[in-house]
Amino acid sequence: MKILVVEDEKGLAESIAEYLSKENFVVEVVYDYHEAREKISVYNYDCTIVDLNLPNGNGFDIVSHIKKQDISTGIIIISARNAVEDKIRGLEIGSDDYLTKPFHLSELNARVKSLIRRRQFGGTNVVNYKEIKIDLNSRRVFINEKEVILSRKEYDLLMYFVSNIEVALTKSAIAEHLYGDNIDTVDSFDMLYSHIKNLRKKLTEKGCEDYIQTIYGIGYKFGTG
Amino acid sequence: MKLLAKTNSYYIGFSIIAYILLTLVFYLVTEFVIYQEVEARLKVERQDFEHYVSEQGVWEESCYFVDNKIELFSVTDTLQPLEVFKDTLFASRFDDEINPFRQYSFYKVINQQPYKVSIRKSLVESKTLLSFISGTMVILLGIAMFILFLFQRKVSQKIWQPFYKTLTEAKAFDVSRGVGLDMPEESIHEFSELNQVLEKMTHKISDDYQNLKEFTENAAHEIQTPLALINSRVEELIQGKNFTDQQMYWVEQIHQSTLRLSKLHHGLLLLSKIENGQFHDFESVNFSVITKNKFEEYQEVFEHKELETSFTTTGTFICEMHMALADILITNLLNNAVRHNVIGGKLLVEVQEDKLVVANSGANIDFNPEKLFERFKKQNQASTSLGLGLAIVKKICNYYQLEVSYQIKNKLHTISISKQVEQ
Repeated sequence: MKILVVEDEKGLAESIAEYLSKENFVVEVVYDYHEAREKISVYNYDCTIVDLNLPNGNGFDIVSHIKKQDISTGIIIISARNAVEDKIRGLEIGSDDYLTKPFHLSELNARVKSLIRRRQFGGTNVVNYKEIKIDLNSRRVFINEKEVILSRKEYDLLMYFVSNIEVALTKSAIAEHLYGDNIDTVDSFDMLYSHIKNLRKKLTEKGCEDYIQTIYGIGYKFGTG
Repeated sequence: MKLLAKTNSYYIGFSIIAYILLTLVFYLVTEFVIYQEVEARLKVERQDFEHYVSEQGVWEESCYFVDNKIELFSVTDTLQPLEVFKDTLFASRFDDEINPFRQYSFYKVINQQPYKVSIRKSLVESKTLLSFISGTMVILLGIAMFILFLFQRKVSQKIWQPFYKTLTEAKAFDVSRGVGLDMPEESIHEFSELNQVLEKMTHKISDDYQNLKEFTENAAHEIQTPLALINSRVEELIQGKNFTDQQMYWVEQIHQSTLRLSKLHHGLLLLSKIENGQFHDFESVNFSVITKNKFEEYQEVFEHKELETSFTTTGTFICEMHMALADILITNLLNNAVRHNVIGGKLLVEVQEDKLVVANSGANIDFNPEKLFERFKKQNQASTSLGLGLAIVKKICNYYQLEVSYQIKNKLHTISISKQVEQ
């Protein structure tokens, strides 16, 4: 899986590259508009992450270019602009997702994975982790082929966890993923806590090992490590 | 009243007054001239009469065959000299018509006997002449006035045309398009000046607007990008396993504060964007629908806080506004109602005719309720809230001329948003 990151802020680009590399993606980074166009024309990427403000160019133009040349790649726009107009414009000209800075790397990672899954036409659309099997189309979860009934939020939570295996996730990152950034943090942390409790209970009841680890003061980690 | 209608009405009013005065003056002058003429002739006849009497010594009625032409009355006293002109009426000899005459009276002594002599002249012809002249004059003057009226109307239409063009252009000016108006050169100096002033002003306005817009965009980029970097580095940091719990706690605090800073900055930018009028697009927002949707989204939070909630609709509240702002408005109101609520408290939302009411239970506020809508005004300065929610609500309401008010009703903090009654 190859990913192109177009981001002029070197530190941020590096950090995204490092994070996604750990998830076994091959990541290439370019810092400006012309480089980005060159790379896109020559190589194939499964996903392109584009910043809107670039030196000597605009992220929107890159998206338009990709669509005009009929280049097959998923597109995620990352931008500091929070304006709804920009979001709508980005999605209209053909980007698949829009993420406002600052974002959690785990959120970006989850979105990249979800985007790549969606683009795999004819795939089984099933995600497996150990004894857990998730059918993405029907949104059903099985433990050792036995179905677990999860609420919508619990399902979203599990998906977020399996997209970020063995990664320390902060409470705020998870809460923002589930509730958006409108709900008060105190409330969302409390609600998150009860969802985690329920999810853990539902999974272990069906004989699943408890993969949800609590990291004191920070949040949670999903995995065996 | 339209400009042309106004000038026309002034013109018509003035014309009518001028018309009446002119005809009156004309009539009086003509009448005066005719009387002068008649009186001059009467004086000549007096000379003839006196000449005749001094030659003949007597006066014979038969000399004149015209009826009532000269009449003599014997009088006793002629001490006071008499010489009077006056209008009188006499019946015609041939029919019953009563005709106007001009009469000239004086005293004359004939054969030692004083007489009062009255010489008269018929005014019938003169009156006819007068009315003919006046009539013709009235009609001609009327026609002239009417033609002038048509002419001036045409002229003012032509003269004011560039003004109307300018007006249409100015009305069509849209600051969000980012360009000022380009006005044509006019032959009339004042209009040309007006166009130049407008051109200058609109260019200045669009430039300022563009600058502000770019500033907010750049500010967003310049501040959010470093924050994004801090956040992502912190996230990488917490993947490390060599931290003590205390160090982890510090890192998490850095993380939280950065997120908070970023949210705060977004909030402040939103406020200034509303202030700058950067939200042009609007659509008909049905508050019953979007409030209901939001209300349902919040069910989980309501349940978490064990709130007793109700949502009622008793009327429709439709407002022309930007969809994103409408969404922010409702979100902030509900957030506020949840945040300051107590466990097991109440939260009521009601959409009425042109009005939205959100009421919640909660601790009493210990400051002036007017300050509730100020930025950074918080009950508890240490609370996690940003203190911008209601300030944004207020700003959005002001922007769309909605009235927002706070009251305590039945121990519930009640915020109502309603359409301002148009005066």
